[in-house]
Amino acid sequence: MEQNTTPRIAVRVADIWKSYGGTPVLKGINIELLAGQVHALLGGNGAGKSTLMKTIAGLVDADQGSVEINEQTLGTASPSAAQSLGLYLVPQEAHILPNQSVLENICLGLKAKPRALRAEAEALLRDLAVSLDLDAQAATLEIADRQIVEIMRGLIRKASVLILDEPTSALTPHEANALFDRVRQLKAQGVGIFFISHKLREIREICSVISVLRDGAIVLSGPLSDYDDNQIVEAMTKTVQSAQPVKRTENNIDFRTRDVVLEIDRFSGEGFRDISFNVRAGEIVGLAGVVGAGRSELAETLFGLRPARSGNLNLLGTPLTKRSPRDCVDAGLVYLPEDRQQNGLFLEASLAWNMSGYTMHRLGFFPKRKDETSAFDTFRQSLGIKCEGEGQQAGRLSGGNQQKVLLSKCLAADPRVLILDEPTRGVDVAARNDIYRLIRELAAKGLGVVLISSDFDEIEQLADRVVVMAHGLQCGALERDAVTVDAIAHLAFESGSPAHA
Amino acid sequence: MLDFFARNRVATLCAVTILAFLLIGAVAPGYLSLSTASVVMSNSLVLMSVALGTMLVILTRNIDVSSGSVLGLSAVVLGMMLNDGHSLGLAIAACLLTGAVAGLINGLLVTMLNVPSIIATLGTLGLFRGVMLILTGGNWIEELPLSLKALADNGAVGFSVLTVIVIASLIVVGLFVRQTRFGRYFYAVGDNREAARHLGIPVKLVQIAAFVAAGVLAAIAGMIFAAQIGFIPNQAGNGLELKAIAANVLGGVSLLGGSGTVPGIFVGVIFLTSIDSALVFLKIPAFWNDFIAGAVLLLVLLLDGRVRMAVDRAIRAKRYAVHHHTNPDQPTASSPETMSKPRTQEAGE
Repeated sequence: MEQNTTPRIAVRVADIWKSYGGTPVLKGINIELLAGQVHALLGGNGAGKSTLMKTIAGLVDADQGSVEINEQTLGTASPSAAQSLGLYLVPQEAHILPNQSVLENICLGLKAKPRALRAEAEALLRDLAVSLDLDAQAATLEIADRQIVEIMRGLIRKASVLILDEPTSALTPHEANALFDRVRQLKAQGVGIFFISHKLREIREICSVISVLRDGAIVLSGPLSDYDDNQIVEAMTKTVQSAQPVKRTENNIDFRTRDVVLEIDRFSGEGFRDISFNVRAGEIVGLAGVVGAGRSELAETLFGLRPARSGNLNLLGTPLTKRSPRDCVDAGLVYLPEDRQQNGLFLEASLAWNMSGYTMHRLGFFPKRKDETSAFDTFRQSLGIKCEGEGQQAGRLSGGNQQKVLLSKCLAADPRVLILDEPTRGVDVAARNDIYRLIRELAAKGLGVVLISSDFDEIEQLADRVVVMAHGLQCGALERDAVTVDAIAHLAFESGSPAHA
Repeated sequence: MLDFFARNRVATLCAVTILAFLLIGAVAPGYLSLSTASVVMSNSLVLMSVALGTMLVILTRNIDVSSGSVLGLSAVVLGMMLNDGHSLGLAIAACLLTGAVAGLINGLLVTMLNVPSIIATLGTLGLFRGVMLILTGGNWIEELPLSLKALADNGAVGFSVLTVIVIASLIVVGLFVRQTRFGRYFYAVGDNREAARHLGIPVKLVQIAAFVAAGVLAAIAGMIFAAQIGFIPNQAGNGLELKAIAANVLGGVSLLGGSGTVPGIFVGVIFLTSIDSALVFLKIPAFWNDFIAGAVLLLVLLLDGRVRMAVDRAIRAKRYAVHHHTNPDQPTASSPETMSKPRTQEAGE
């Protein structure tokens, strides 16, 4: 597309510098986005991608440098100015107005007549092949639907420049494909798109140009076809790593001889029914399925956050009948929640405080600062958390580091069984490999791990065994070598709902 | 039925209010009359105006506890202008302008200097009261001209000009927040400020507008106060800000911002005011008023909370029932009925 006509420059960023509290985050970024181009942007957590995109969207004021959108300079930071120049940023974490309707959430700020907007929103829903009740209150939406609302906001604004920040992290594969179709249409219409993702497969599918950020500078830029996956990952992480995270260790442990640490027998609750499986010491059991299959509900019920209807739960051979989260923690069962912003972290609190979240009650009436500090130091080192120190606010860390803090909190409780709910959502390749390595190490130490993930690659790489759920029911199990992406997908979708097909 | 009440705090409150009226009517015949209604209405005008302004501020997830002092200050400006021989129109304009400036100060403190609204308005609560006292030298303003007091007289149809002004404010604000784009921004800013910013909504401007509107409405309340009473004491409007917040809460305005309606304010204020009038009618000594008003407020909120929780449970049960009632003995995934329910529908219920 770039040979014959000279395409319009949709965004030109020149020499952008930005630092927070003396720490430079962006160091002289130059980047160009052409109309009709899908430009992939990669980088580790904390590489500066989000800051760069927020600068372009007028949400952050750069210290130096200029941003031009559709050949007009964006003055001071103002999201409405950026939007009036034709740009919209679809953020990674959906910003929802919980008390308003879904339609209001999508259309707020648009000037057209309400009826016309509704018609447009409905057409867009059909295009994206999703079903959403436009009149529902947004507070009732699940995380994936919130992201769809955020994407629809971008599309309905008919922006000529779109920034999609990890748009697929909460979508099912079907929804992701529908989104990609839409992206291709937009591209044909001359819309310029910055596409941020950690999934190289996705990037290969729809992007033509790539830029890689590392430590606030662009370290690789050019046509995507010029680089192979290993080169890209290498550019991101500086150290040479395999693009494919290490494969599941082909160990020959026969788990059948190990102790059962967690036994779930015909367990039913809100959103799932008759789930039975067990986890043995040192075993990683994947709990696969699409979003909405009832896996998080199951985990939250096991952990005493929701009422169970029937069924038994045995932990280390003893039934755990009276369950509150604290009972579970004390008995050795710990849960890492899916939504780290909402349920996992105290975003305003320090890292040390966050890490002692599950163990507060063991620290005594006057918790000693020394204890928390030493725990912090241990985990910072063993998990490789990049931060300023124990006093830093958790909300200021990047996604991957936040996830590590959350994992530290779980490990501080010294669990025997760990339930991990989407442990790598919104986490970059390097940090993801770190987390995979940690999960394997934990299992090797004898922990039983339940790994909930919608990323079937992740399950294939980590799990010794997998239980597949669809629509609240257990619809199959796979063991060892039978754990493959295809087999899981077959179980999760074929037995799944025709509504997604 | 239950569902309806849970979604609708206003409906709950209406039901409780009507029930209370009927009970009092049964105990004290003669209470239920047009004249009572007229008294309750005119007694509620001051609070109504203040509560309406407070609602606009609360919608944007701020709070305004300075409105009682704004009322006093603007009433004093009105009274001094009139007693200096200025025309009624000019005096009222100055009164409203005072309210607007006071609101603007609040708004600028909150948005430009980033002072949390509770602290900013606590500060101005004292500040504005102080300015008022300095202006009057600590004296009451008395002998207000008849032209002002005439505003409080009932006209031919039993309504005073003041009632018309307040009803008109209710309608204007009600239409504004529901029907105009800028009005909806008030809800958006309070619901999720970061989201509103992302959508390009002028977040600061909206908050300032809310404070200014609250100031003007408090000034209108000051004018009503002066016209009804005929003089302006030092403590005019004292404590009214908290009553206004109570009326908001009663009327279903969320203190967390982003939800609330004008009809809610109306019912909430009428409810609070009618408690006072009922106590008079029941010949209960006036020193019981605060106790009873507080107890009733708590009772209504508790009742409302309980109903809401019960309905939430019912909704959750309904939402997850699909897994338990359909196809009871089919654990493998092949029943079309269970399977075809897309998750978005479940979530939307």
